[in-house]
Amino acid sequence: MPVDKNVLEKVLARVQKPARYLGNEWNTCLKDHQQATLKMAFAFPDLYEVGMSNQGLKILYESVNSRPEILMERTFAPAADMEGLMRENDLPLFALESQEPLTSFDVIGFSLQYELSYTNVLNMLDMAGLALYSDRRSEKDPLVIGGGPCVFNPEPLAPFFDLFVLGEAEEFLPDLLAEIAALKAENHCKKELLIKLSVFEGVYVPSLYKPLYREGFLCGMEKLDPRAPDTIRKKYVPDLDRAPYPTAPIVPFIQTVHDRAVIELFRGCGRGCRFCQAGYIFRPVRRRSSENIVKTAKDLVTGTGYEEISLSSLSSADYPQLDVLISAVDNALSAGRVKCSLPSLRLDSYSVKLAEQVHHGRRSNLTFAPEAATERLRMVIKKNISEEEIFNALSDAVEAGWQGFKLYFMIGLPTEENEDVEAILTLCRRIRQYFKKEAKRSLNISVSVSTFVPKAHTPFQWEPQLALPKVIERQQLLRRGFRNMSGIDYSWHEAEGSLLEAVFARGDRTLAHLLERAWQRGCRFDGWSEHFSFERWQNAFQDLELDPGSYAYRRFEYDDYLPWDHLDCGVSKEIFIREHREALNGDLPEGAVDGTHSL
Amino acid sequence: MERIRFSFARKKPLAYISHLDIMRLFLRALRRSALPVAYSQGYNPHPRLTLALPLPLGVTAAEELGEIVFAEVVGPEKFINILSLQLPGALELLHAVSADPEQPALAAKVCAARYRVYFSRGSDVTGNEKLLEQALEYLMAKEEIILEKKSKKKKTININVRPYIYEAVIIKKEDKPLELRLLLKAGSSGGVSPFFVIEQLTSVIGSALFNDHDWHVHREKLYADHNGTLQPLSERM
Repeated sequence: MPVDKNVLEKVLARVQKPARYLGNEWNTCLKDHQQATLKMAFAFPDLYEVGMSNQGLKILYESVNSRPEILMERTFAPAADMEGLMRENDLPLFALESQEPLTSFDVIGFSLQYELSYTNVLNMLDMAGLALYSDRRSEKDPLVIGGGPCVFNPEPLAPFFDLFVLGEAEEFLPDLLAEIAALKAENHCKKELLIKLSVFEGVYVPSLYKPLYREGFLCGMEKLDPRAPDTIRKKYVPDLDRAPYPTAPIVPFIQTVHDRAVIELFRGCGRGCRFCQAGYIFRPVRRRSSENIVKTAKDLVTGTGYEEISLSSLSSADYPQLDVLISAVDNALSAGRVKCSLPSLRLDSYSVKLAEQVHHGRRSNLTFAPEAATERLRMVIKKNISEEEIFNALSDAVEAGWQGFKLYFMIGLPTEENEDVEAILTLCRRIRQYFKKEAKRSLNISVSVSTFVPKAHTPFQWEPQLALPKVIERQQLLRRGFRNMSGIDYSWHEAEGSLLEAVFARGDRTLAHLLERAWQRGCRFDGWSEHFSFERWQNAFQDLELDPGSYAYRRFEYDDYLPWDHLDCGVSKEIFIREHREALNGDLPEGAVDGTHSL
Repeated sequence: MERIRFSFARKKPLAYISHLDIMRLFLRALRRSALPVAYSQGYNPHPRLTLALPLPLGVTAAEELGEIVFAEVVGPEKFINILSLQLPGALELLHAVSADPEQPALAAKVCAARYRVYFSRGSDVTGNEKLLEQALEYLMAKEEIILEKKSKKKKTININVRPYIYEAVIIKKEDKPLELRLLLKAGSSGGVSPFFVIEQLTSVIGSALFNDHDWHVHREKLYADHNGTLQPLSERM
């Protein structure tokens, strides 16, 4: 079904933020479809403003489109109003660059960043006019592939996808696409093509593996073709300085969530916080050289015109001599009056100094993530900072003139008791009192509390999520406490959303039908509180006689077969077990930065 | 220091972005171009770029005006040549002049704007002219047309915008769907949007005409007051 341009124009005149669907932004790459040996549509299962803030999209767009013979275009989840009008007017999901329907591409690649975007994946497949299940799509249909952090446990999505890429794809994806083009030219059927692709490191073809169950519990994966590997190893980029990186990424017409240029200082993180999946799946730590960073910063300004450059990573202050680097970047950018920003700062005095260095007097709020409020619990999660260090860092920040803080905490962490939650209140109260005396002015303190979600490939992967009623009880405890504390702005994540996140983060293929059912019942944009309906999800669970608790609350044993055991993130199970035991025994870990993974 | 005033056209796809988006777009294009933009003094310096009158979302424009101050002399020709390379096709620089820095800002001079509201090709609105004409007549004969506005203190204030509608006529050309031409008060001392006028017409003739057919708003010109008469602002840059 082609896209009728006249109809599309009329539809665009009637939707909110039509610029989401326009394409043609600065630095867009528009290639001739006739000349391309392979056409891929990068599909981001969330709104344009979210997708265009994703650095992975920009990196892959660059890496694929820098090859002349292949092309990549973009598509995003249409908002509800656009979806309605598109369906009403028989407009299929299209790619922004060419406005060609998704079905005219050879490959549709979904970016899987977040479990609560899964219903959007299904909706986008449906809006493209494709069957949801991979075995019901025809030989002519595009291959549906997926990448991103959720691929470290993609099982709930497995039946919908032809292939997943595990790990970092910027060097590998162009080769994979070229290989697909070559195999297609040889007229292999889809099944044979997928078997041939499965031998590449990082490629996971879910249809080649069959989950085995014993007494209702997963007990293994049966390989359905001898050529497929037993375990799939993740792909990673050995050297960031040599990997493709966009210095002229697309500059959207409308404001996006992260509306700035980004330089990745390093990938991976040596801290090893036990709840943090990114800290494990992006190992080893790889640093971009400071020469490369300064040059990239300059090129980014010339290429995009952005007024701000973010020096990003999972824990930026861990970059050796970051202060020296910031000065060098600042010097390089001063002519264009471009500002630097530093996300992900640690709670220590060095980080406060760095923040001061990049902010040049524009002091608003500083964001920190202590995650837990007691030293005991911080030890359990390996976020090893003492209360004294917290106070030192905060008082340095106040002295430097910052107006306030945003503090992130989690509840529902393993071993957490009510008193750990009450400690969040105590800590915030102490911070407030301390500064009333010390700073002699009021500070804006905002506290954001999320619910812990146990994730695959972390030391806490065996841990159950705290049960929903308990989570709500602890949220209420905080709400009551903060209500009596003036000057603190408290916000929290919807507990039901976090429950679903845990279900899909730890679940297996039995969840695919549930996803389909939830989508049929109208679930979309589940990560957006204005769209999320737990009731619809509960109904979907009931329809299929499934219990969310059996996925989210199950404590796995060390010898249980985990749904992601056939996927190798590069960190052995022994390490996860050791870390998990250490966490639960409360043993002192040997220093915050894990020696084997330091920078 | 040099103050450059310029005119530009905004075409279809970019009609869908807001005034702030357009500002950001210009500023990023300027930074890519490496032209020496001047910044304001003070705690939070910002680039000295202003547009004469914000464009409503969805409206295309034939001749918008803006002005920018450079730290060094650039010259109007170089300004157009260099900046054009950094602008999308739908935003076209038309003309630029070097202006006296002491003159009042363009934004302070705008006092009216001319719009065309036209139905798109292929939409059959024949037979509606009479209806629309009568509605216009009725509207223009009114003493008061009240626009409710929220003040800064969130109080509702009523403004009589009837005097703001300087001109409203229907144009019917051979083999073209009918067109509405509006000359409306605009600028810092108050104004009225073409969409409000259409809303008022709809309240007279019912929603069918404007709801069932595709129509578009195009801003043709901005005007300044010159000794009591309206003169195109572009001629007085």
